[in-house]
Amino acid sequence: MMRRGRLMLALAACLVACGGSALLQDEAVGIKIPAHFPAIDFPEDNAPTRLRIELGRRLFYDTRLSADGNTSCGTCHVLSAAFTDGRRVSEGMQHHTGKRNAPTLANLAWMPRFMMEGGVPTLELQALAPLHDTLEMGFNMMEVIEKLKHDEALTALARAAYGRDTLDPFVITRSLAAFQRTMVSGDSRYDRYAFEGKKDQLSEQELRGLELFISEKTRCSECHSGVFFTDFGFHNIGLYEAYADRGRERVTYDSLDMGKFKTPTLRNIGLTSPYMHDGSIASLEEVVEFYNAGGRNHVNKDMRIHPLGLSAQEMEDLVAFLNALTDWNFVQRTDLMPYETE
Amino acid sequence: MVMNIKYFAGIALGLATLPLVFSSCTEDAADRGPAAVVLDFNTRWDGGDFQVQEVYTDQFGNRIRVDNFKSYVSMVKLFRSDGTEVLLEDFYLMDFKNDNRYTFDDVPEGTYNGMQFYLGVPPAYNKDQDPAQYPSSHPLSVAGSQGMFWHWNTGYIFTKFEGKADTTGTEGADLLHSFSFHVGDDPFLRVFESFDTPIIVERGKTTTVHANIQVDHILGNGGSEGIDLATDAITHTSGNTELAKKFMDNFVDAITLE
Ligand code: HEC
Ligand code: HEC
Repeated sequence: MMRRGRLMLALAACLVACGGSALLQDEAVGIKIPAHFPAIDFPEDNAPTRLRIELGRRLFYDTRLSADGNTSCGTCHVLSAAFTDGRRVSEGMQHHTGKRNAPTLANLAWMPRFMMEGGVPTLELQALAPLHDTLEMGFNMMEVIEKLKHDEALTALARAAYGRDTLDPFVITRSLAAFQRTMVSGDSRYDRYAFEGKKDQLSEQELRGLELFISEKTRCSECHSGVFFTDFGFHNIGLYEAYADRGRERVTYDSLDMGKFKTPTLRNIGLTSPYMHDGSIASLEEVVEFYNAGGRNHVNKDMRIHPLGLSAQEMEDLVAFLNALTDWNFVQRTDLMPYETE
Repeated sequence: MVMNIKYFAGIALGLATLPLVFSSCTEDAADRGPAAVVLDFNTRWDGGDFQVQEVYTDQFGNRIRVDNFKSYVSMVKLFRSDGTEVLLEDFYLMDFKNDNRYTFDDVPEGTYNGMQFYLGVPPAYNKDQDPAQYPSSHPLSVAGSQGMFWHWNTGYIFTKFEGKADTTGTEGADLLHSFSFHVGDDPFLRVFESFDTPIIVERGKTTTVHANIQVDHILGNGGSEGIDLATDAITHTSGNTELAKKFMDNFVDAITLE
């Protein structure tokens, strides 16, 4: 496990010829995280190094990872939208419409289970999903490797970063995860207000919204809790009387889990519309109206979702607070952009 | 595929860890040739041969063509009458468009009174495991699994059985009705056991065990619960666990040793 802000000793030097010219030498790096975030527990086989992150970043934006050669991870996970794509549900390969709204990738380093039903246990394994899903990149990892193995520079990078012979599934899954763990976001005006003592960072209205957010009246912060604004739990919020997407029930086969989805983070929520697992709610105003109305009837609906009786002013205040959760430095970080645009 | 024979004693079902290798083959016997066992999986239909991509008629009158039929077989073991056992192989991915004939050289000589294997992948190797950790020659690796793991979820797909059918009973009609069974996850693992056919392993001889899979029985022809593709055509486990269960129950019952 690695602590924040500290540089590990350089890993045993991995010297490999890169494209026949420069030498590649890898080194351990620390991931910058805000002081109010817990330390990251890195997997043993994937501590962050400069080249692992570089390789992951190159792959993340590489359209050769898709069957049609047009789609990369970055097509649906766009930095300026906090790694979402602004669409109701994702449009993947050859304009197949996906079934779910692309979630933000901020702060995945702390996420215990991936995907909205929580089926996938690690960020490394998650990378296999878009590469297999016919709705997403319509491709298979082995075909990707077939295409990429002729890229000498990439292969050299893979060798230097992981000390393996080739660009294989291990290297691809690890490097994509290594890059995604650098997507740390915790520098919103709310953070400066709450954790850096900068009381002028939130307006009167935003402060009223914060009060409401953590109040007994709304109980928003019971599910959208902690510094990540999620309990990482699964809840049915009464979005539908009958769910087309069964959510957590898909992996537990338990009817009590029907319509339950992983609580999404609310960080950068002002940038990630539309909302909910299926992108069915267009704006934050409508989300708050939805909660205020108490959701639709469903046997599994969480008890905390019921008519809240908020005034128009209170609803506006809540929305104002949610908009103060945007981390503008995060969405402008050049080290998260494709190399060409840096 | 690499055949590694691992010998070990023990009677536990569902071993969680790889067995220890404590012996290879008997020293002075090499000149008499190997003591080999061939395990040959054959697909059958109503007493005759069965081939993927051929059309057959089931007991409901549905004409069906299976286009893809794959299945994991794991922890293939032979048992001696004293309860000790020999692990022949840990994992296979059978693809029924090919032959599925596996040769094990250097099986310890003796008379075995039973054979056992799993249809599927046992829990310790299944959920939350990482296919990227295996070399690509391994049946559980990304390449070797040939798409037989859930990507949006975790764990291996034990069996895929998919194709087209005509369920209208119209003579000469095109096969337009898709069926697709993707069954996986721990509750659907099945153990096949047979203690009816003694297996005698001798130096210099090859003993062939035929494992016949009566594909019509999977759909219920052998007296197990019927699966009528007109109404029960799709399960990806999730969404129709009842059908997934029925499929695996029928599948394991459809296997006989010869
Ligand atoms: C066609 C659009 C599309 C592409 C391309 C795409 N994704 Fe996604 N991504 C999605 C959608 C939609 C989801 C939500 C899936 C779900 O939960 O079922 C998602 C979920 C994820 C998650 C899980 C986040 C969470 O909160 O659990 C990660 C991580 C992720 N994607 C990373 C990637 C990576 C890495 C790539 C490239 C290899 C990629 N995505 C390519 C649309 C896309
Ligand atoms: C019982 C737990 C719970 C409570 C209480 C709760 N939420 Fe949620 N929230 C969720 C879950 C789960 C989802 C995702 C639901 C889905 O996609 O079907 C969600 C979704 C959202 C979204 C959309 C996020 C996105 O990225 O699409 C917003 C915004 C939101 N909640 C704000 C609030 C506010 C404001 C409150 C208080 C009025 C609140 N929530 C109360 C669990 C909860």
